[in-house]
Amino acid sequence: MHPSLTSSRVAIVSGKGGVGKTTIAAALAKAAAAQGKRVLLLEVEGRNSLAPLFGIPSLGYPEHVVAPNLSAESVVPDEALVEYLYMFYGIKRIGKALAHTKATEFATNIAPGLRDILLIGKVKEAERRRVREAYAFDLVVLDAPPTGRLPRFLDAPRAVADLVRAGPIRTQAHGVLDMITDPARSAVVLVTLPEEMPVQETVESIATLRRMGVAVGPVVVNRVAAEPFTKTVERSLISDARKAIARAMEKAGVAAPAATLERLAAVAAASARRTRNQRAVMTELEADIDRPMISVPALLSPTVGPAEVDFLASVLSDSGAIS
Amino acid sequence: MSEDLARLIADRHIVVCTGPGGVGKTTISAALAVRAADLGRKTIVCTIDPAKRLAQSLGLSELGNTPREVAKSAYGKGRQPKAALWAMMLDMKRTFDDLIVDMASPDLAKRILSNPFYEHISSTLAGTQEYMAMEKLYELHEEGRWELIIIDTPPSRSALDFLDAPRKITDFLEGRFLRVLLWPYMKAGKGTLRVFNYGAQAFFRAATKITGSELLSDVATFFQMFQGMFGTFKARAERVRELLGTQRTAFIVVASPETESLKEARYFVQRLGREQMPLGGVIVNRTHAVEPIEELDAIKATGDPLLTAAAELYNDWRTASQREDEAVAKALADLPGTSVWRVPDLVDDVHDVAALRTLADALLGPIA
Repeated sequence: MHPSLTSSRVAIVSGKGGVGKTTIAAALAKAAAAQGKRVLLLEVEGRNSLAPLFGIPSLGYPEHVVAPNLSAESVVPDEALVEYLYMFYGIKRIGKALAHTKATEFATNIAPGLRDILLIGKVKEAERRRVREAYAFDLVVLDAPPTGRLPRFLDAPRAVADLVRAGPIRTQAHGVLDMITDPARSAVVLVTLPEEMPVQETVESIATLRRMGVAVGPVVVNRVAAEPFTKTVERSLISDARKAIARAMEKAGVAAPAATLERLAAVAAASARRTRNQRAVMTELEADIDRPMISVPALLSPTVGPAEVDFLASVLSDSGAIS
Repeated sequence: MSEDLARLIADRHIVVCTGPGGVGKTTISAALAVRAADLGRKTIVCTIDPAKRLAQSLGLSELGNTPREVAKSAYGKGRQPKAALWAMMLDMKRTFDDLIVDMASPDLAKRILSNPFYEHISSTLAGTQEYMAMEKLYELHEEGRWELIIIDTPPSRSALDFLDAPRKITDFLEGRFLRVLLWPYMKAGKGTLRVFNYGAQAFFRAATKITGSELLSDVATFFQMFQGMFGTFKARAERVRELLGTQRTAFIVVASPETESLKEARYFVQRLGREQMPLGGVIVNRTHAVEPIEELDAIKATGDPLLTAAAELYNDWRTASQREDEAVAKALADLPGTSVWRVPDLVDDVHDVAALRTLADALLGPIA
């Protein structure tokens, strides 16, 4: 079976901080949209990090069309709260009164679980939204909080249901819980790097998510380095890069000062160690999880913009994971 | 350049490593601490969430919230440091619990710790983690056992949280908004009735309707118990701020050479400036910064597979390095007097003291 990033209606994209989950979420959304799916991409951390990936200054509320078939939105808790109140009570006045009394302060500080549930509530609303008979979106991609906060984020419905013993919030909590625990409706896509710490965190997250009854999709291994050397050369560089390079130079009949040799050796050895570690870590990951893995190459550019997102979207499409 | 950093490690009392998540802050903190101990300063490093093997190598895997000296065996075949190196891993929840026990009477502490809302607030209130990191820092300082305290801050998405924590938490705990909201549940209501305006009434009705009355009652009970402690909280927060603001402290912002990460670093540098906090400089970690090699083309032209691949690789690093330099310049060049230290990504898989020492060498040069 082919690994699929789009087997559920909602793809919850997460990963350890700094692994590039936002970029992968954007690439996934763009790849799916390019294949004709109607896609909504949501961010919930208020970081405004999606907008630059589409070459626009900021994402507004409500959603914004950023590419053919693709809308994106930065979900803000107090707007979600007002929208929610309006939807369930049809009262605009309360919405206004809320704005007046700093609703966000209430939502984010007094009951932080409430904030999370409003944010996931918005995801659920988008997933269920219908235009006439059909779903408004074929796929909702969520740029979710990092894995360190993800269990608490996804567990908010349960926590709120425990804390709030009656009323519509409790009903809402159960509705969200249904979505999160139904593999046809949502699955978590974890993004990781071929390095020890992110992989360790990925393995732990998968176990935690499974315990919570949340489906886990394929794991995307981001920034996989190309292997410049054969395995034999790699070994010789790891054991003594200076010697290996000096010998090759002698054989080829070129001379270079000691400093040059030193610099070349340091970089070659670092690369050789990295690719060896990378293979070891990926083998370990493969053994520890029974999830398919999708490798994405490292980019040389320090800035990620629309061009890089397009490139990564084509990598994901070519992997066959978007269907 | 790296002399400035060396000087900070040699003469400051507190070094706060901060910056966005996933940039190697914890590893940098640990490497700086190992260097300071190697130079003869009694040092403690307080980290948030080290990699498992790094934690194991520092003896941190099984301990909670208390400082412990790094075992002699951690240095393996390497030399022992000149002064003792200590390490601890911050447990936010336990720090908060300890603080309550410290500040309240035994009976009150017990009641607070068992309040369901406290459970919530102690782990999720925005800024709590940052505040607890500062609280622990202050405690370590008060203990007076270390010449140098290096603290690694939580990977908060915005570095602002860290500086804002004391004010945020005290503002929140003292907030008029809270009192207004909870007044029906609080006994002390004098004077507050007047500010209980129409908006708040409507809001209160809505909140009760949505959350049920139990939550608000739990919250109110919690704040009632907490009321007497607001003053102490605030005073502590102010003392921490004062301590951080002196020239005995240095903030080091750690970033990766990507545009987004550097943007956050810039923001932090500016913020520290506005708050008059002593900035040590910015460490750009995991860069491709390498010196140019004149003979590179000749080496590549040999056609030897190893040499060609090595030369191409080096060339890629140079290209990446130039782009990174541009990104660093764009983010930080116009901020006057900001030292920037680049660390080439030559050491990976840092999970023992030997690797931390290699990293320290890359950052600061070898020990003379």
